[in-house]
Amino acid sequence: MPPSFVVVGASLTGATAAATLRQDGFDGDVTLIGAEPHPPYERPPLSKQYLRGESPFEKALVRPVAFYGEHRIDTVLGVRATRVDPAKRIVHLETGRRVHYDKLLIATGVRNRRPPIPGLDLPGVLDLRSVTDADALRRRISSGARAAVIGMGFIGCEVAASLRQKGVDVVAIEPAATPLFRVLGKDVGAVVAAIHRDHGVETIFEDLVMRFEGHGRVERVITKRGRHVECDFAVVGVGVEPVVDFLAESGIGIDNGILVDEACRTTVDGIYAAGDVANHWHPVFERRMRVEHWQNAMQQGAAAARSMLGTGQPYDAIHWFWSDQYDANLQYAGFHHEWDRLVVRGSLERRSFVAFYLNQGRIDAVVALNRGKDVRRAMPLIRSRGLVDPERLKDENVDLRPLAPAPTEGGQ
Amino acid sequence: MNARSVTVAKKADIKPGELASFEVAGRRIAVANADGRFFAIDDTCTHEQCSLAEEGTLEGTVVTCGCHGAQFDVTTGAVLAPPAPEPVTVYRLRVDNDDLVLEI
Repeated sequence: MPPSFVVVGASLTGATAAATLRQDGFDGDVTLIGAEPHPPYERPPLSKQYLRGESPFEKALVRPVAFYGEHRIDTVLGVRATRVDPAKRIVHLETGRRVHYDKLLIATGVRNRRPPIPGLDLPGVLDLRSVTDADALRRRISSGARAAVIGMGFIGCEVAASLRQKGVDVVAIEPAATPLFRVLGKDVGAVVAAIHRDHGVETIFEDLVMRFEGHGRVERVITKRGRHVECDFAVVGVGVEPVVDFLAESGIGIDNGILVDEACRTTVDGIYAAGDVANHWHPVFERRMRVEHWQNAMQQGAAAARSMLGTGQPYDAIHWFWSDQYDANLQYAGFHHEWDRLVVRGSLERRSFVAFYLNQGRIDAVVALNRGKDVRRAMPLIRSRGLVDPERLKDENVDLRPLAPAPTEGGQ
Repeated sequence: MNARSVTVAKKADIKPGELASFEVAGRRIAVANADGRFFAIDDTCTHEQCSLAEEGTLEGTVVTCGCHGAQFDVTTGAVLAPPAPEPVTVYRLRVDNDDLVLEI
């Protein structure tokens, strides 16, 4: 019997892993199982070009549809995995089918949180994760339609921007003081708020949705402070949760996603995890982190495949993502939750800056608006974990590149 | 049609590790100084049409688009990292004394 490698999650992560197994010469069986009926696709366009009808679904595919057959990757789509039995090395599917594995990769990602708000089930209250969700949203888009966007995280911000670009009237409601407040803080968040207001979004901050009202469909959103926001549809983006419920009896260690080491190995032999669902040990930051980025989905999928093949290197990519809103290009690199100092290079007012999130003199992360070059140049500074002089970071006449200290022993 | 020689810049105008772009024959072309060796490619990223010279970064012979991180090999135009779907065109560039001369 040839060895059987199974991937649960026909996502960017899962499909990249399956493709990497073949690319690196694995000759056994590869099975790719996904809950969605679609061939594996990338999600970034769903809130942007695809949502606006500017690019077709085919452009979002991870690989052309024919790729999987050509590379003997058995795809099982539209079928959920219901249980993993590590003792027998079997994945149970909702159809009753049992799939044997020698090695298993879990790449089930995240699902949108459904907050317990009355009226959430009314027709016209939408959210966005899958292409099916995006299609439902697209059908509501027309010039002059009125949308309420609930939550101004990255998805909410991008959806608000795309809706405005299509002529939809948008009221955005966010519990924090600015968009992206929890991730980026008030200074950068205020810049993002101003960009949205400049493009005609009415913003309501520090207020909560109490209920959705309407007869037969959503007609208005009622907030805690008593605002009544009339709308034709609402888009809810209030966070996500890892898809791990089917692993409850598996014995796999779970805490904010699936716990994995730097080789994408879970606590159970022969089982790996990667992508949004993986709470992974990061050797550069020497801590665990779980991220929901396009680049990580791809790179960690490939890293997990190589780990399954026994040819892996420790996965230590500096995380990076972008968010396009209107003509603004926002980029982030690194990882941070708290910071003790924010250093801004450039100008928040002019909307051209890179902001460094420092902890005890070290750069944990950067965010930049319309400054991709600086983000790229800051990545070695993040990786170095060295102490940096904030005054030099701030000084636009100082080239960022030579500021990275030479790698010390153990560094890369 | 015969190739045309166009002097686009002096060698000294583009420092090692830097890119500059020029409008030549209706096309936007990026010239890279890869640690002393010069290469010319289309300046426009094939993903979302960002300028590689303006916001891109050059490390060795790899240019990274400043918008969404796509990477190209400046010597061949090949895509080294997504999201770029297609390679960029490479142009012949020769160094003539202090001049950078594009054959187009």
